[in-house]
Formats: sequence, structure tokens, C-alpha cells
Amino acid sequence: MSNKLEAYLEELSHFLSGREEREEILSEIRSHILEKAEQEFGAASDESLDRVIASYGPARRVAEKYLDGRPVIAPAFKRHLFRYTALLFAFHFVLTLAAVVFKESFLMFPVFYIPSMSPFEALFYLPMALLFDLGVVTLVLYLITQSKKEVRLPWPRFSVDLEEVKTAGRTIGRIIGLLAMTALTGVAVYFYVRYQTIFFVNLNFAEHHPIFTPEAGRWYSLILIGLWALSAVSLAVKLVTSSPWVDAFKEGFSLVLLGLIFRQPLDTALGAQLPAGLVRVLKPSLTITVLVICIFVAIDLIKALVRIGRKQLAK
Amino acid sequence: MEPETGHFGTEMNRGFLQIMVLAMLEKDMYGYAMVRAIGELGYEVDENTLYPLLRRLEKNGWVKSTWDIREDRPRKFYGVTEAGRRLRAELLDIWKKQDQILRQLLKEKSHVQ
Repeated sequence: MSNKLEAYLEELSHFLSGREEREEILSEIRSHILEKAEQEFGAASDESLDRVIASYGPARRVAEKYLDGRPVIAPAFKRHLFRYTALLFAFHFVLTLAAVVFKESFLMFPVFYIPSMSPFEALFYLPMALLFDLGVVTLVLYLITQSKKEVRLPWPRFSVDLEEVKTAGRTIGRIIGLLAMTALTGVAVYFYVRYQTIFFVNLNFAEHHPIFTPEAGRWYSLILIGLWALSAVSLAVKLVTSSPWVDAFKEGFSLVLLGLIFRQPLDTALGAQLPAGLVRVLKPSLTITVLVICIFVAIDLIKALVRIGRKQLAK
Repeated sequence: MEPETGHFGTEMNRGFLQIMVLAMLEKDMYGYAMVRAIGELGYEVDENTLYPLLRRLEKNGWVKSTWDIREDRPRKFYGVTEAGRRLRAELLDIWKKQDQILRQLLKEKSHVQ
């Protein structure tokens, strides 16, 4: 018998695994293919069997026709997948920030364990947390779907409008924003090229005093210029498309750039010429400011991802 | 340009195929013979659609099957059951009613035009 027929039946067998009547289905298909090859091509040769198998269809497609077609997650719950994941991740995100700020571990049995971590480590922890949250929600919805019980899940509403509405006012706002961000980026680049920093204590450029050490000043300046440039580019792109992917990419890259701030330790980043009182105030304020910005960017990122998920569902 | 029946055609064929199979199986037949017989009637059915349908009908008790192992190649023969005949009669009633409604609608439309 053709090796190809055996390989085809084996592949089918793999996709039908778990079904009691698998062997019977395979026997029937084997019998059909052999008979068709003999009747329509004269003999069950390798060549004729290849042609009959090709016309029967790919093994996975054939196997799917025998399956019940019960979805992993009921269509009615697909929207819940994204919304619940967003809410769970928001909770996870806040706890992660608390773990970073207070340098404490959090254990909330059985779902959450958030270890004490640095801001830089948090950048790697959060994507993993998002996947974990997606997995937990998927598992719960899967179990509800498979139970076949009539379950009415609560539907929490965000207070913000997740849908993009294109209006003339919004377009004008974006043009003004684009011009402002472009000008800001241009001025920052000019200062950076001239002074290698954009952070100053005073505005007397004949005798300027940078806030940070030269190395830290360069690092932070480049990050801030990068963030402004990113905003300008996203505003420009949003003039031609309202795709939520633009926001998702922008917020994602922004989070990475903000995370890079923490690679330069703030303890040694402040300039030596600064008064001690100012240093005492600046250190915690800068950390808190960056963390708050991170929260807002993360919220925008989640909103963009939810919009993407909803658009995919609408398709 | 021909209308793209695609998905709609598949949906319509599904119901029709069930009635047709239940009607054909007054005489016991095996899968390949059924595909050939349907082809001779001027209709076409994919074998990978027919076999899962037969399995579903069998699972619900509308058709029964027996393996014939007298020849070199074993063949699975199907035949309609009493429950299958009742189902066929009900499906035919639905189909006739639908046909009647459509004819009425198209007749009214032709009068309006």
C-alpha cells in the first residue's frame, strides 16, 4: 500500500485523537480512497492514490469535519477575554508598581505572586504578567464554555470611550499637536547638539548649569527626545490612519524608552553643583514622576490593545 | 458576473444533503457508491462532507450501518432507520413550505414589476 496513504491516515489519526470511533473512520476513508483509485484510475497505484488523496483534502480539514465544532471559548465570551484580561493586568500592574516603589513582595493566593524588583526588572516582568493574566482568563472562560451552563458574566464598562471617532476637531488637534511636538523635538535636538543635554537648572546659557552629570544628562536627553519624536511620528501617522496599532506601537515603544531611564541610576545622576536641598527633593520626585508617566502610558497601551482585540472580533 | 454563492451555497446544500441522503438510503449503500449515485443525479458532494454527515446521522439513530467484509475490501453499508424516515418526512414538510413561500414571494414580485 502507498506510503503516502499510510502517512495521510496517520496524520488524520493524529487530528482525530480522542475520538472513540477513530479506527472506524480511518478504515472507511482507507476503503474509499482505495476503491476510488481503482475505479477511476484503473488501479491503486502510488500515482493514482496520490491524486485521490489530494482530492480528498488536507488531513486537518477532513478531521475538523468530524469534530463537534464546539468552540474553546463561546463566541459570546470572546469580548470578556480582552476586557477581563485588561482589568486583571491593570491590577497586576498596580501591584508591580507597588513592589518596585516599596521594594516588597506581594503574595495573593492563588493567583498573584509579585516579587520585589527593580524598575528595569519590572519591564521584563510585566509582559510575562500580561501573558499570565490572558492565560488565567482564557482558562476560566474555557471551563465555563465546556460546562455548557447558562452563565451570565458581569460586563464592567470603562469610563473612557474605546472607539476611535474621526472628527474635524480631532484632526485639527492632531495637526496642532504634531507641529508642537515637531518644534519641541527640534529645539531639544538643537540644545542637545550644542550642550549635550537638555536639562538645565538655570536659563542663562552663557553660564549654564546642567541638572545631571554629563553621562546621565546625555542618556536622559536622548530618551526624552526619543519620546517626543515618537509622539510626533505617531501624530503624523494618525492623520492618515485611525488604526489602533499606531497607539499600541507608540505606547509600547514609549514604555521601553521610559524603562531605559532606570538603567542610569538616579543616585549618581544628579550634578555635583546642585544644592543639597534640591537634590533631596529631586530624587524622589523624579522617580515618582517617571513611574506615574509609566502608569498612564501603560493604561493607554492596554486601551489600544483592547481596541485591537475588539476590532479583530468585529471582523 | 455570476453571483458568489460561496458560504450561502454551502449552508443551503447542508440541509438539502441531509434530506437527499435520508431519501437515498431506503436501499442500503456504502459511501463511494453514494458519491457516484449523487454524481449521476447531476449533483456533487465531497466525500469528506458525506462521511461526517453519515456519522452524525448514525450517531442520532437516523441511519444504521453494517460492515460488509465478504469481499477483499471491507465496506460500510448504511440504511435509513424508522426514526430517519420520520425525520425525512418532517424535513420534507419544511422544505415544501419554504418552497411554497418562496414561489409566492417571487410571484408577487413579478406582479409588482
